[in-house]
Amino acid sequence: MGFIAEGFRQALHLIFSGDPEIFGIVRLSLTVSVLATCAAALVGVPLGSWIAVKKFPLKKLMIALANTGMGLPPVVAGLVVMLFLARSGPLAFLNWLYTPYGMGLAQLLIALPIITALSIAAMQGVDTKFYQQVLTLGASDWQAIKVCLKEQRLAVLAAVIAGFGRLTAEVGAVMIVGGNIRHSTRVLTTATVLETQKGNFDMAIALGLVLLALSFTVNLALTYVQQRGAAAR
Amino acid sequence: MIKARGLTLKVSPEFTLSVDSLEVAVGEVFAVIGPNGAGKTTLLNTLALLREAGSGSLELLGRNALAPENKMFLRRSMAVVFSQPYLLNDSVYENVALPLKLRGLKDGPAVERALELFKITHLKDRNARTLSQGESHRAALARAFVTAPKLVLLDEPFGSLDARVKETIARDLKRALKAAGAAVLLVTQDQGEALTLCDTLAVLAGGRIAQQGPPQDVFARPATKEVADFVGVETIIPGTVSAKDDNLCSIQAGGLTLEVISDCETGDEVFVCVRPEEVTVSKSREAGSMRNHFSAKITSVEPWRLQCKVGLECGFPLMAAVTRQSVDSLGLKPGMEVFASFKATAAHLIKR
Repeated sequence: MGFIAEGFRQALHLIFSGDPEIFGIVRLSLTVSVLATCAAALVGVPLGSWIAVKKFPLKKLMIALANTGMGLPPVVAGLVVMLFLARSGPLAFLNWLYTPYGMGLAQLLIALPIITALSIAAMQGVDTKFYQQVLTLGASDWQAIKVCLKEQRLAVLAAVIAGFGRLTAEVGAVMIVGGNIRHSTRVLTTATVLETQKGNFDMAIALGLVLLALSFTVNLALTYVQQRGAAAR
Repeated sequence: MIKARGLTLKVSPEFTLSVDSLEVAVGEVFAVIGPNGAGKTTLLNTLALLREAGSGSLELLGRNALAPENKMFLRRSMAVVFSQPYLLNDSVYENVALPLKLRGLKDGPAVERALELFKITHLKDRNARTLSQGESHRAALARAFVTAPKLVLLDEPFGSLDARVKETIARDLKRALKAAGAAVLLVTQDQGEALTLCDTLAVLAGGRIAQQGPPQDVFARPATKEVADFVGVETIIPGTVSAKDDNLCSIQAGGLTLEVISDCETGDEVFVCVRPEEVTVSKSREAGSMRNHFSAKITSVEPWRLQCKVGLECGFPLMAAVTRQSVDSLGLKPGMEVFASFKATAAHLIKR
């Protein structure tokens, strides 16, 4: 048990000594996950809202696809993105394999169905008559969706929080697409796996603690925004 | 204005809304009443362009409302008020300003005017979700009138408000409607609400307009048994016109002869409709000027609005509305033998 306590002690030392490698890893992790979440939210929230409020023939199929996508194993997402970005893949011209861009793309693929499916659920909570009332006030379809989104902001923010949470914890996809290259594509999760395999438990624990702290800080900020909306109710 | 011809909409395999002809002029308040499931809300949603008609023609404000390119223009020229206010989780001011913002118009004076029109200026900074029911309905009406709509559609606009609040809001709504000079269609189950506001009344039954015309006509001269039933004619007696002298028809019903002024012909199978307010109950054998005078037995005495409803059996069932004072002074109670009378002009015949 002593090595765990020692690991924690060394972890705190590493964090507070301002280790440039750790900060580089933190910066990259945060950048990739936040940007991938933002991109997934920009696409997933309007898409999910549109699916929720409109009537069209394949609506149930699309909802089922989004729900299935929520359980998409990250390694599968990583594999698919890798195959697309590989030298013989259709997106090879992007030269994104083993780069943060490729990792972001893989994370986008993971977060998109989560945010879309949860946005569908959130917007299906809007009373049809409320949506119709907004239309009769002179709103276009998108204006009506925007008004309803504002009403459902708590649930939609929960969708974004869930997407971000999944990305910060994700390791398989970024490992496959990024390759865990030092000073280039190494992020907190892949670095933690590597350090654990090498037996560097102090470093692994330090990275794990930073990952937890990071996740907590971002979620705290999002929850603060969300609950400010709740307090207004 | 609204002009619908041969408008149909299949709602389910068992129910189709079918409007042969409906016209509402500028400045006119047209009320549609009918029982639950008659298709009132479906009709309103079709006119509000929330449901697409299957066939027929619909013209709103002189434009073809079934053409997709006119949809947004028409929606922005109309206001719809539902039975629930459906307010945003925002201030009353922001709620009332919303239609203007959606149109890219400036708020400010228009919002202030609408708030004033419905007497809620003092509530403008309050969150709409904290309002009382009556205040919420006022906010919804202010929001509807903020754009000075040319067409107003009201779907049971007072919801489940209590009578006193309903009355005060109806008064303000009437004033707003007059000032707007819009074509107004009101659907409601509440006949009192319709009578307070409308110039023309239509009764919808089974997805079809069974009768339309001035409200007094619809109430006094229902065209079908369903309409008679819905507008509160409690006594509907089947009979046959046995003789006619000028316009005075003699009708055989329940072994008795009734006399009613009507243009029906001898041999016609009819329903004799008598409103409870037209029936007089007395202990005297004297008929006075009443042509229909029968001995009857009281079957029930029940409170009804500010009066009492007295059920009578005189060969056919008859319902009379009697003041509470009369019930007390005559000592009316079930089992008592009395006389029931009504004038020949007070009854109405519907051909079967």
